[in-house]
Amino acid sequence: MNCCLCDQALHFVPSWRGIFLYEAPELLCQPCRNEFSKTAGQGCKFCSKEGEEICRDCLYWEEHGYRDLIHSGKSLYCYNDAMKDWFHQYKFLKDVLLARVFAKDIREALAHERAMVVPIPLNNEKLRERSFSQVDQLLLAAGIPYRHLLEKYGETLGEKTRQERMATKQLFRLNGEAVPKQLVLVDDLYTTGTTMRQAAKILQEAGAESIRLLTLIRA
Amino acid sequence: MQAIEAFLTGRIWIRQFIPFPQELIQAAIDQGDAIVASGISADGQCARCLETSPEYVIPYTCATCGTVCRYCRACIKMGRISSCTELVLWRTPAVINARPRAFGWAGNLTPLQESATKAISESIHKREDHLLYAVCGAGKTEILFFPVYEALQKGLRICIAAPRTDVILELSPRFKQAFPDAVIHTLYGDSPEQSGYGEIILATTHQLQRFQEAFDLLFVDEADAFPYSLDPSLERAVKKAGKRSAPVIYISATPSHALQKQITRHTTIFRRYHGAPLPVPAYRALWNYERHIRNGKIPPPLKKWIEDKLQKQQPFLLFFPSIQLIEQAIPLLQKIDSTIAAVHSKDPQRKEKVMQLRGGALSGLATSTILERGITIPHLQVAVIGADHRVFDRSALIQIAGRVGRSATDPAGEVIFFHNGITRQMDAARQEILFYNKEGKA
Repeated sequence: MNCCLCDQALHFVPSWRGIFLYEAPELLCQPCRNEFSKTAGQGCKFCSKEGEEICRDCLYWEEHGYRDLIHSGKSLYCYNDAMKDWFHQYKFLKDVLLARVFAKDIREALAHERAMVVPIPLNNEKLRERSFSQVDQLLLAAGIPYRHLLEKYGETLGEKTRQERMATKQLFRLNGEAVPKQLVLVDDLYTTGTTMRQAAKILQEAGAESIRLLTLIRA
Repeated sequence: MQAIEAFLTGRIWIRQFIPFPQELIQAAIDQGDAIVASGISADGQCARCLETSPEYVIPYTCATCGTVCRYCRACIKMGRISSCTELVLWRTPAVINARPRAFGWAGNLTPLQESATKAISESIHKREDHLLYAVCGAGKTEILFFPVYEALQKGLRICIAAPRTDVILELSPRFKQAFPDAVIHTLYGDSPEQSGYGEIILATTHQLQRFQEAFDLLFVDEADAFPYSLDPSLERAVKKAGKRSAPVIYISATPSHALQKQITRHTTIFRRYHGAPLPVPAYRALWNYERHIRNGKIPPPLKKWIEDKLQKQQPFLLFFPSIQLIEQAIPLLQKIDSTIAAVHSKDPQRKEKVMQLRGGALSGLATSTILERGITIPHLQVAVIGADHRVFDRSALIQIAGRVGRSATDPAGEVIFFHNGITRQMDAARQEILFYNKEGKA
């Protein structure tokens, strides 16, 4: 077995834990694994951005009609060069296997979750083109049950500037499933927070009372 | 020849990435000029790179076709191929167009090069594989020019494959000069698009996977090098890219025993084109070099060696076994002299730095094994730090030693293996160089 990022041979490291408990085989070599950087404990209470208790992006939303919408949130990793490469290979080269790289982190973050886990969807055209939903695959790899409540239509934010992103209205509609009181929205990348606020707004209007966020990466 | 035909002939290409309108592609398929193949065969083999291992061919639920698809990770960098990906192959063979061609190379061959050229031409004529076993600096590229010229005149399609982009980029201008009226394509990862029907294709072995039954003649340069010695799939790619009866000429300074056994027709040249012997590596102990460097100290024997080269104003290469060690050593080396720089495989400025070393703007380079092949710098001196490390096998060490003394004006130079204990690989490399020198004299 080789490291699935650098393709160097993986050296099996025996451990006491491994003798007694089943451990999923490691996908990355240690040097590749070390390149990723986790977010620090403190930081923005919505997106884990380093610095203030509420970061500049999230403050904008709080001040522009999205106050008291989101209870709290967390991002697991920072967006550095290694993450950029991973993201590119996963999402744009469509290397589905790479969903497993962060399975453990996502499992730890959501294993004891009692609220419903709701992934951010892609629009159908994009889904057919990419052949998989990157958020669903992350959750599947982590073994976390989830349910879709939203449908995405129209445009994607990918190619937009910061101002265009923040000015976008209406990205989602409900898909008709019952909306529970408590839920956790899950996405891959948090850039300005537009996606998350839009999704949360619709779900709140449909009856959700406590909405929390989980993203893998904070850009 | 139509543009689409020129592009697709001999290629195996993902349908949606063909740079022509879909209607044109569909018309070619309807007329039977082109056929469509599934990206991954039913038994799980990638149609482009021929990978079959379940570690690389991965099943998943595909939203495009709604079933369980497999995709290939081995060649994913060239655009992902999955079971529902359509690959297009051109079926109608190209018309062979034999005619006199221009030849822009007017150099002289040594008698040894001359006889190698003849032997290769003969093998091509008989459609047999051939191994050219020639030491570093024997003038291998010049040996190829005449057989390529002959094949070009016959209207054959020719491929020269090498494992590394650096080697391809160095070969490209020399071939363009030697064959001024031929359409030459130079293909490597991220190479620019080149139009027309390539008669001579210079390609990295990875790019070779995008061809199928394309070539009448193939040259595989540095046939022993990474990733060849590690990767049997690339050998399959060579066979796939060639037409059924196409001869393959392997060229190597350090062929593996397997390759030597596999190919019956050999030519050997154990003498450099300028006639001087190969520099023989010297051993010098450098105990616990890793710990010294980690603790912020360049071991004295190495420091002395570097200072000596600086004083004589000779450019030098320092080969290190790992990027990590280079990073630890480089600030220490720059304290000795500020014009020492570091390069490694992920360095985008690799080419520029080598040029600076050649031009004298840099005094020396600390490098990983990436520079072991294909570079020629006059008056170069070489040290291997940690020659006992497992990345430095016999062929890597011979290649490294082969960087020294390549120019006729200064055929001498120093190769030194700093080690933490002599290994068999070091001895094997040294023995082999001594053997070449003995044979070359006879």
